[in-house]
Amino acid sequence: MDASTLLALRDPAGIPFYPVVFQALYILTWALHAAFVFLSLGAMGLSIYGTFKQKIDENWKILTPHLIQTGKISVSILIVLGVAPLLFTQVIYDPNWYVANTLSGMWIFSFIYILVLGYIMYYWYYFANKKTTGGGKLIGIISFSILIVCGILMHSFAVTSIMPNDWMNMYAPNGVIDNSGWTFNIKTIRLIFLLSLSIPIVGIFLQNYSRFLSTREDFNKDFIKYTTKIGKRISIVGLLFSAVMFVTWMVQLGYIIHPVSISIIVGVLILIYMVYQNNNSYITTLVLLLVALLISGLREVIRYDIMSKLGYNVYDYPVNLEIPSLVMFLLTFLILGGFGVAWLLTMAWKVGKTKGVFDGSKDVAVTKLGNYTLGIMIIWMVVYFAWGMTILFNNIL
Amino acid sequence: MDLIGQFPLFYFPEYGSAWMMGVTGTIHILASHTSVGAALLFAFLAYKAYKEDRVDLYPYMKRYGMFLLIFSYVIGSITGPGIWFTATAASPRGIGALIHNFVWVWATEWVFFFYEVIGVFVLVYFMDKIDKKTHLKLTFSFALASVGTLALIIGIISFMMWPGTDVYYATGSASDAFFGTNTFPHMFLRIGFMIMLSGVIGLFISSAMKKENLSLSHELTKKMGYISMLGGFLVVFFFMWYMGTLPENAHAVFNVTKDSVIQSRIILTIVFSLYFLLAIFKPQFISKPLAGIMIFVILIGGIWPGEKLRESMRKPYVAGQYMYSNQIVSRDVDGKGIKSELPILAEKGMLKVNPFIPKNLRVITPENKLKVGKILTRIACSNCHSLEKTGKYRPLQTRMQGMDKDGIKGILYAIGAGAFPYMPTLQLPDEEYDAIAEYLESLNY
Repeated sequence: MDASTLLALRDPAGIPFYPVVFQALYILTWALHAAFVFLSLGAMGLSIYGTFKQKIDENWKILTPHLIQTGKISVSILIVLGVAPLLFTQVIYDPNWYVANTLSGMWIFSFIYILVLGYIMYYWYYFANKKTTGGGKLIGIISFSILIVCGILMHSFAVTSIMPNDWMNMYAPNGVIDNSGWTFNIKTIRLIFLLSLSIPIVGIFLQNYSRFLSTREDFNKDFIKYTTKIGKRISIVGLLFSAVMFVTWMVQLGYIIHPVSISIIVGVLILIYMVYQNNNSYITTLVLLLVALLISGLREVIRYDIMSKLGYNVYDYPVNLEIPSLVMFLLTFLILGGFGVAWLLTMAWKVGKTKGVFDGSKDVAVTKLGNYTLGIMIIWMVVYFAWGMTILFNNIL
Repeated sequence: MDLIGQFPLFYFPEYGSAWMMGVTGTIHILASHTSVGAALLFAFLAYKAYKEDRVDLYPYMKRYGMFLLIFSYVIGSITGPGIWFTATAASPRGIGALIHNFVWVWATEWVFFFYEVIGVFVLVYFMDKIDKKTHLKLTFSFALASVGTLALIIGIISFMMWPGTDVYYATGSASDAFFGTNTFPHMFLRIGFMIMLSGVIGLFISSAMKKENLSLSHELTKKMGYISMLGGFLVVFFFMWYMGTLPENAHAVFNVTKDSVIQSRIILTIVFSLYFLLAIFKPQFISKPLAGIMIFVILIGGIWPGEKLRESMRKPYVAGQYMYSNQIVSRDVDGKGIKSELPILAEKGMLKVNPFIPKNLRVITPENKLKVGKILTRIACSNCHSLEKTGKYRPLQTRMQGMDKDGIKGILYAIGAGAFPYMPTLQLPDEEYDAIAEYLESLNY
């Protein structure tokens, strides 16, 4: 695919801000999205193991429903977090994403319904296990498998999007056009590496879980010790396996001595040490997020290199600055998002730490954050209507 | 080399890829509108429960919340991005136009969406774990966040119909594109519908509570009847305002089917008014199967034809009255530096400027003419029309039945000259028209 074609495929409206910002937002939000993808798959997979031990082991009796719940909430969060990188990639890499989507149109359409099916079955699994200890094994396995298929499909779209030299051959092999939308591509090592990250992430989650519950009197100390122990084991095995897959992938691509991949390897070594020591799993999680950011960054480096070699440089995307809606986003993100999410998370943290009912009305931080959030939302609505009416009056009178 | 930014064509036989968008869109609208309406209903119920110390309302809210979690936040939150997914396959440049105009608006909506998704879990799972006052605040913030998502998406989908004034074309500003003349009427029309839907779903849940608490079930059924009635009234009222803010081409399409649309809407209004009156005056007659059937009726009889009509009225455009459904830029937008692609297509033809035409089809020969005609027809027509003889979605078969090549060519020239306001004024060189006409003739409609 030559540069003139790739450049022609860019949107004629240009982009409303500097490309590097969208690139950074993409890297950041993909890392967050991926963290919840791996947490959900890890928690789900481990919970299925738990359903087999739930009846005979007290520890798994407590842990399994918590893992199922973690998986359930994580899927919702990964979906909402996934919207952001999906948005930002379409801003600066629209040629790539749209070609991949049109070539795989049937998979794209099917993906949504496969995901709906998998997630609804997951709720079924949740209710079945809630009703009967050890229940819902088969449904859980089917649901887990369906969600893995979704992951494989997303992998296929991403891989197709960075194969511009093969697009024409995928669309019209030997000059015969294929409009069916069944294009499917897979890069096995890359896929296994990414999926394998579910293992260390659920391990580190277990370390956090045991640390968080260690202050709750209604949780047995032996249970806390047990979850700490399996958290450490799972994390170390998972990190080692992921590291091997990562190195294989990098050698395959010729990126093994790239500064970002070296940073990732160093990050993994630090993580192994931290997980082994388990002094403070919350700090380990911060390092894990940093490594996730580096992995996200590396994906972008690979894509950027492929595209710039073909003459498509995202930094040359024409810019049509759009300030008012950018200001709206920044203020909403920082102020409303900041206070609102801080309120919800503070409350969730305190409810989790409390045995019985948590009285938020007597908690200064929760009360203030709640009042601020409501106040900001009301002001937001007022500004929205004032802004809209001003524009309309200007344009129609 | 002169190229236009057309992508590979994804083609779904018999129905067309736009139809796939319609299916996902309809399901999403049912789920997402329910979620916004239900958020408002939640706030109302939580206020009542708190003020009147009605602890018996909380189990209903919990049950409604669980339903909402599965229905709206599983189906709704997946089909939302699902519309994007399907749209990128069916109409990549259409969705690209929206994203490149409104990326920050969408990013802002994402903040509200994120708050909503975490909020709904907190709201449902903490109902028994936090004090009532804090819970009440949560329901208020959840309702505001839900309305916020509507306030942000509404300007984008209104722009799909048209920007409302010509100012956008000169400034290229997202604000001018977002706050068009039909943004607010569209918003209130949908709020009415959301309130009505929340009541319709609420009736399903209240009718399912009969065994546990008959008097509460009847009380809530009555309330849902009133709420649905209010929502329904708002829908009818704001629909009139909304219709008055649509562009001429929308009215041209609407006029074609006006009588049947109005007739079906009147029937629907009468049926649902009777249903809501039944809920108010005879709540004991509202059963779970009836409430379930009515949800289905609203999906098939209300949302699906409504969305189909909105999509039809947009024709021939897919976004901002500058992007045609067949992925061609049809006018200049000076504020963005966008140039119409119609002149270059008229001069050089689709085969020369579409980058995904394979080399062996770039020059028409007697051997490849039908193949060229086939791909040109698919590119130019298939976003809106089924091409097969048995096609289901605005089939060409009914429009070109029994016509010969010259007759078909005559229609193509008339379309290119702008004879039909709802068709794209796409002019192509004679040899390309000829290939299209020959291909269509070969289908023996």
